[in-house]
Formats: sequence, structure tokens, C-alpha cells
Amino acid sequence: MSYLNAVRLHFAGQFQANVSSVNNDPEHFRNSTFEPNFQRLQGPGMNPPNGWFNPEGDGGFRLLGCKITSAWTQSGPVGANDPVLSSKIADADDRVCGKLVDLDPQQQLVSEIWGLQVRLIDRTGVNLLTGDFLEAPFIDLWDRAIGASGNGDVDGGAAYQSVLQNLVWGDVSKSPFLTQLKALVESGIAAGGKGSLSIKFNLDGINLDFRSPSFMCGRIAGTIGPASPGEPRYMVLGRHFVAYRSQASVPAQNFFYPAGSLNFCAGVIDRAASNLYLDLGNALPTTVPGGPMFDLGDLTVHAMNGAVSLGAILSQGAHGYASQTNWYEGCAGVVFLPLNAAQLAAAATSQLTISGAIPNSVISEASGGGYVRADKYVYRVTPGESVDVTFYAMQWGQPLADFDIQFVQDPSQLQPGAPLLSEQPSPAYLNVATPADAIKFAATATTDRNGKAVLTINTSNPGAPRWAGPTDFGLDGQVYGIRASFKYSAAPNANNPVAPSDAVAPWDFVSILLWSEFKTSDPVQWSEIQPILQQYANLYPVMNRFLDLGDLDSVKKNLRLLKLAFGLAPSDPNSMPVTRDLSKQKRQALLSWLANPVGAPTPPSPAPPVPSTTVAPSTQQAFAALSKGGKTAAAARRLIRQGAKK
Amino acid sequence: MILLQQSMLDGLTGDDIRIEKIREKLQAAIELEHSTVPLYLYALYSLDPAKNGEIVSIIRSVVVEEMLHMTLASNVLNAIGGSPRLDDPKFIPTYPGPLPGGVEKQLTVQLAPFSMAQLEIFLTIEEPQDPLNFKLAAAQGDGITIGDFYRHIAKAIAKLGPSIFVHGPHNQVGPDLVEESVVVTDVASAGQAITTIVEQGEGTSKTPLEIIGKGYAHYYRFMQIKKHYLLEPKGDSFAYDGPPVPFDPAGVYPVPTQTAGWSYPPGSAAAAENDTFNYTYTNLLKALDALFNGQNTAAQMNRTLGLMMSLKELAKAMMSGIPDSKRYSGPTFQYQPANLQHG
Repeated sequence: MSYLNAVRLHFAGQFQANVSSVNNDPEHFRNSTFEPNFQRLQGPGMNPPNGWFNPEGDGGFRLLGCKITSAWTQSGPVGANDPVLSSKIADADDRVCGKLVDLDPQQQLVSEIWGLQVRLIDRTGVNLLTGDFLEAPFIDLWDRAIGASGNGDVDGGAAYQSVLQNLVWGDVSKSPFLTQLKALVESGIAAGGKGSLSIKFNLDGINLDFRSPSFMCGRIAGTIGPASPGEPRYMVLGRHFVAYRSQASVPAQNFFYPAGSLNFCAGVIDRAASNLYLDLGNALPTTVPGGPMFDLGDLTVHAMNGAVSLGAILSQGAHGYASQTNWYEGCAGVVFLPLNAAQLAAAATSQLTISGAIPNSVISEASGGGYVRADKYVYRVTPGESVDVTFYAMQWGQPLADFDIQFVQDPSQLQPGAPLLSEQPSPAYLNVATPADAIKFAATATTDRNGKAVLTINTSNPGAPRWAGPTDFGLDGQVYGIRASFKYSAAPNANNPVAPSDAVAPWDFVSILLWSEFKTSDPVQWSEIQPILQQYANLYPVMNRFLDLGDLDSVKKNLRLLKLAFGLAPSDPNSMPVTRDLSKQKRQALLSWLANPVGAPTPPSPAPPVPSTTVAPSTQQAFAALSKGGKTAAAARRLIRQGAKK
Repeated sequence: MILLQQSMLDGLTGDDIRIEKIREKLQAAIELEHSTVPLYLYALYSLDPAKNGEIVSIIRSVVVEEMLHMTLASNVLNAIGGSPRLDDPKFIPTYPGPLPGGVEKQLTVQLAPFSMAQLEIFLTIEEPQDPLNFKLAAAQGDGITIGDFYRHIAKAIAKLGPSIFVHGPHNQVGPDLVEESVVVTDVASAGQAITTIVEQGEGTSKTPLEIIGKGYAHYYRFMQIKKHYLLEPKGDSFAYDGPPVPFDPAGVYPVPTQTAGWSYPPGSAAAAENDTFNYTYTNLLKALDALFNGQNTAAQMNRTLGLMMSLKELAKAMMSGIPDSKRYSGPTFQYQPANLQHG
């Protein structure tokens, strides 16, 4: 069922993603060349870059002032007297806030939210519902604010989809909506499910001005609905609209600029209710960052190659997506079109298209209606471990059974190199996806009757391809990408699930961080642990508010705190961001040492050279290019971007 | 020396001692112990530890023990069938204002950066009835000391005897979770818990040393800052002539002193940060409330510790000019069950 169905609530407000920016630069992972100024805020126009835009960030992901803006049951919008409409969405009230964590400095474009609790609270603050957000990365990052494109992260938008687990319900009897939602969850449990909710939200308009009250905050608008047993957790089983990248050089493209102005999105046809649900929440461009929707004119939806109209989403009038300033907050971009029998029949097995009134504003399904994607697409792996990645294939929104999926390594969207490195090509320790044979997987897999295919990825020790030295670890392990696509033997035709086109969703691939094997003496010595902790101290200046992690005395005084921070499950919000940066073997070594802290203080390393204060104009240009934000800088390092090789 | 209102003893003396009254007083004790924490933390985080490290260590050590005292008072309250209540807007005093139970107008405390003047307030709060090496404090009206207050609670418990105790350990937060804590199950252990609180706060009439614990009673710890030297044993007595405790006024961040009616302009960056702080602070009170009311597990203790660390991190950022070195603010310590900034 998922969030994209009849029974759902919408919410909107602000989020805070208070990430540390020191770890945006892979070169900052080298302890031997780390300079104290890498922990300071960047200068104007990023000159000097220092520790970029938010070196003191604590990694917190917070929900701020989120209100429930509407709620729908199977019989339509709930009445104004349903108390759910005066309720709010908040984060945890009995533990620390969630954390936002990058996978790797060379794959920064799948930042995951960990340890977030989502609460629904009534007007007096009483919990009506709490649930734990299953950690998930964003997807479909794009240049959303087309009225101001070119400015980088602040123009960007992206979406998160996951499930809320471990639900605890309060007294919801006064709310017809919540009563119905709870009943659906309970019927899901009766059918063998875990009792989860499906949640999807869109983020845009992040503010990178450290003087602003909204620093590191942006807009969030989302939807919550029931999750059915057996369905994917991070994607919609439904109709998927595929965007093509614009080939125009203007405006500047930082992430992805769809040629048809509309970004990747999903729809679901509910035959029983005779409705087509569309989630345009991360598909509609805005005029300015976090601002109103850009007016593309009425959006008409067609089936049968344009022959059958399914209705329109109006841009103007009482419900106009462009004319009503609170339209987006009110529905999080989710709309539905009632379909009659003829429309249902036409839509069932033909390509759907959404078209705006202005020229070239259009997005369609693949012409064969096919779509395949990994449900969970970000993995951290210990060498020697195998991971099973589940792919879902569908055609016209229905599971596509007994069909071959093919898999290839594809590092094209990873981000090798380092942003301020003049050396070309980059030194080998900044390459990605090497050695290629450290991950092995079958070339194909066949879907079962539910359209599911499982790909087993076997791993071995990649060695230390990105280490800067024997005790200067640099970047741990290696990052890899794996892309899936349909395999078809016959020539492409309208009945094949894949459109005969080059439409490739840039972000639709599996990201793997495969750690280096890490061995220590027994017992573990301080000299083996110190480089790990020193790197942590370097990359997360927030830790200076607690202790000096590179200093043996300071560490010994804080053993309890460190055992707590490193000992908890990565899903626990109290485990510090680095816990998820650390391999299991490094973490285990740390815990062993904390239990038996032996070893002598390490001699202080020689002070790094003092950098020159004068900067060449070419370097200033490089700085300016980085001043658009961390994601923009990372995206600029992709091997292949906007269709052109670097 | 802070004196409490005589009424704080109501129901604890005479022949008609009722258990409800003892429970009420223990709740008041928890509130009193907590009421100093925001004051001390505000001063603590206003200090640059690189310039005022000794003072930082001293204040921090006192705060840790105030948290222990809250735990001990909660253990006694639970042991006699009460339920500590921390998750309540009324639990937090208004600053500036009197300490809970304090004699009217005797002492108004306010959230202020560390200064020698603020230190005097701390000394007044922690001053024992008969401070050692000081002349006897003059009789001050009809107030009672904090020590008296606790001693009367202990006496009242002893008078009612074993029958008021819940059978078996009840919602106790023991030394496995909080160092130096006491599991209270009977009159003797209740007495031990209360003695720990009093002696850590006041010391005894014979020695500034804590009987339980690692250091001096709070008053003498703070006196070290005033005297500029650590207190050390000397012969069969003690003297403030240990290593120096220097105070560098340049090592105090320019954070506001929160006068009556203090607030940050709505919509300002300081107001936004303060909202996040207060929300986290309120969540800590909720987590402690749960810890003291049956969720006495290691996992709950970890959640509580995590929130304390988070508060420290948020307060230090606000007070030390992070992220904007032109802006210094300080948390207001107010009850705020939802983070509604921008809402």
C-alpha cells in the first residue's frame, strides 16, 4: 500500500541537518597533513576553505515546527474537527535527535538518516504515535529551484522514503483518521507484517548562512501512510516516471536538471477506489529555494500515447499548485485523479505521461512500463561478508515475474579525487572502485513471481587502496557502485519493459562501502588506536567540546563516555557519527582497547607546514566553485556527469 | 548560607508525622537539588576551559554530585512508595528567582556567566551551618538550613519505621548506573542516602572532607576558587595553599546575564538555538523521570547520558560563539515539550 494511497496524512515544516563539513574533503582524512585551520569556518567566498561551511556541526537531524496539514481516509479528506489536524510531527522526546551520516567522502550523495524517532503529538503535547525511522539515504537529488539555478546546495532538493517501526500508539480514539490508520496497521500485522508505517518526505531550500536563524535548516514536506507486509520499504511498487537529463548547458547543472522540468516520481493506480495517485513532491521545480512551485501550467496526465486524458492538476485557481502558496505544504505534492472505467482500462497497460503547458515540460514512464530498482541501496560491508540486495521489477506498476535483471559495476556517479587537488590525474589513493575484484556478483538474476530478485554480493579484503600510509589510514576501504537494468534478448519494442532509450536515473544504483581488513596486536595498543581517534578528532571538531580524542590522558578520563559512544548499535542515535564511518574491525579494536587501555602516549607529530596566506587567482576560482556547498562539490567530482566524461 | 522556610518542616515533626508529608518533602528536595544545576551549568559553560581549566573542573565536579543527590532523594522517595516527578513545567524554577523552599527574598539567583560575584551566590547556596575556619554565622531569623531539612526527613522516616518501606528494592537507581548511589530499602539505607547528600553538600562539623565520595564538600570546593588555591591537608587540618586556581576574566565568554523577563527576540538565531536546547533539556527531564520511575535499566541510563552530552554540546556552542563568533548566547532552561521553532 505504502504512503501513496488513500489513507495518508501530510505534514510540513522545517528540518535541520547540522552536518559537520570537515569530512567533505577526502584530503582531511589524512592525519599527517591535517592542519588546525581545517577545523575553522571557511572564509568569505570560501577563501580560505578551512573546514568548509559548518565545521562544528554535530550531525543532528531534527524536525522543527512540523504541522500536520491534511489527512485523508478512504472516504476523503477528514473533517476539520478531527484532532489529527491540530497535531504535530516531532522528533524524539526521550533520547537525542537523529543523525545524518554520509557513506563516504567519495560517495556523499546518499546521506542517511540514522536513529530518528518520529512522533505524532496532539495539541497538548501528548504522544498519539511514536515510531522509529528505519535508516535510509536520500534519492533523486536534483537542481530544484530553477528560478535561481546555479547556486548549488541551496537550490537542491531530494527525497527520503522509509518505514516507521516499533510503533507505539497513544489514545487515538478521538481521531477517525488515526483510528483508521491504526486499523490498517493492525490488519497488516494480522497478515504477517511487522506493523509499520510508510513515510516519505522531500527536503529542499537548505540554508548555508551561518549567521541566519535557519542555518543548516530547510523545508520538509512529507506523507505518512500504512505499509503493507511484503512490499519494499524504500520505494513505491507502482508507476515510475523517468526524467532525462537536460542537454542544455544553461542553466548550470549541479546535480540533475531534467530536460522536461519534472523530476523522477511515482504513481499508484488504486483500482478499487478508481484513483490515480501521483507523488509530485520531489518532481515539481520551485521558483526559489524552499519557495513556491514553479508554474509549468496545468499538468495534464495522459495514457495511450496521449490518446486518453486522465485529468489535470491545475496550476491556478482555488487548488492551483502554483497559485496557492500553501499548496505544497498542504499535500506534500501528493495528488490524485479519479478515473472512470475507460480511463482505468486505458491506464492499466499503457505509458503514462504528465505534461505541463509550457514547452518541453513533460515526464513519462518508460515506454514499456518497466522499472527495476534495489529496495535498499546503501551498504557498509566488512571484507568477507556477503550481502543480499533485493531488487524489485515491475511493469505498469505490477510485479514483473520471471524476467532477467543484469548487473554491472558502475562507479560513474561516485566522486573520486579531492576538491582542491591540482594534481591531475588524482593520485591512486583517491581513486574509487579499485580493486574491482574485491566485490563479486552474478551477472544476472531472475525475478520470482513477486517480481523480486536477490543479488548476492561476495566481498574480499580490498586491501588499503585509499590509505595514506601504514598508520595514516586516510579513507578506509573502498566505495563501489552496482547498476541494475533489464536484460532483454529480442529487439526493444513496445512490449518490452524497457524503453528503447538512454534514460538512466543517475542516482539509481547500489552504493557499497567495503572496509579494509584491520588487524591489531593482542592486547590492542594505544599506538594502534590513536590514529583512528585522531582522525575522528580532526574530522569532528564538535568532539572538542567533550575531550581531546588524540590524547591518551583525555581519552582515559572519558572511558565510560567512549564505551557508550562506540559500544551502541549504529542505529542508536547516541552512537556518534564516526561509529558508522568505522569498520566493524576497527570498532571492535577500539572496544577491546577501551576495556583494557594499554600503551604509552604517542609522541606528538611534527607540526604541519604553515600554509601560505596568499592565494593564486586560479586557486581562488577553485575555492569559489566549492562555495556552493558540500553536495555540489562532491557531485562535481563524479566520473561521469551530465552525460559528458570529465 | 541559604535558609529554607520553616514550613519546609511542616509534617516532619511532632507526633502526627504522615508518610504523604515525607514524600512531599522528598519531592521538594529533588526540586531543590535540581534548581542549582542550571545555575552551575550556565557558569560552567560560560568559561573557556583552556583559560579557566581549574575552575571548570571544580564546578563540574559539584554538578555531577547534584545529579547524584537528585538520584539519592529519588531512591528514598521510591523506597517509601512515592514517585519522583521531574517531567513537569513546575519542576523547573523561574530564573531569576528564589530557590525552591527558600526564605522569601533571602536570595535571588539568576543565570549569569561565571564571575566572582556569581561565585558568592554559589557559596551562599552551599554554605554549611558552621563553616570550618569561619566564625559562626549569626542567627538568621526563623529559617532552617538545607542540612536541617534533610536531617528532619531522615528523622521522620526513622520515626515511622520499616512499615513505610515498599517490600524489596523499588525503582532504585543503584551504583551500577550512578556512581556512589545507594539502593534504599530500609531506614538504615535511607539514612545513608540522606547523609551522603548532606555531607557532600555541607561536609561535617569536623572536616571539609566528604565521608562518601572523593573530594571536599561543595562549599569548600567553591571556596578554593575564591581563595585562588586548592584546599590541601596540612598537619591535622586543611589550608588553601595547594596548587593555584587562577581566574582569567578574559576566559569568560560574553554571554548575557539573564535578568527578569529575559528572552531572545523571536525569530533570532539565538532564539532558535535556545529552542533546541530547551527541547533537549525537557527531554532529559522526561528521560530522568522514566529512569526514576521504573525504567532503571542500563539502556535508559544511556539515553539519559546521551541527552546530557547533547545538552552540554548545545550549551557550549551557544555560549562560545559557535557557529557565529560575533554572537554569544546562553540557554534559558525552560520547559518546552516540542521544538516548534520556525513553526
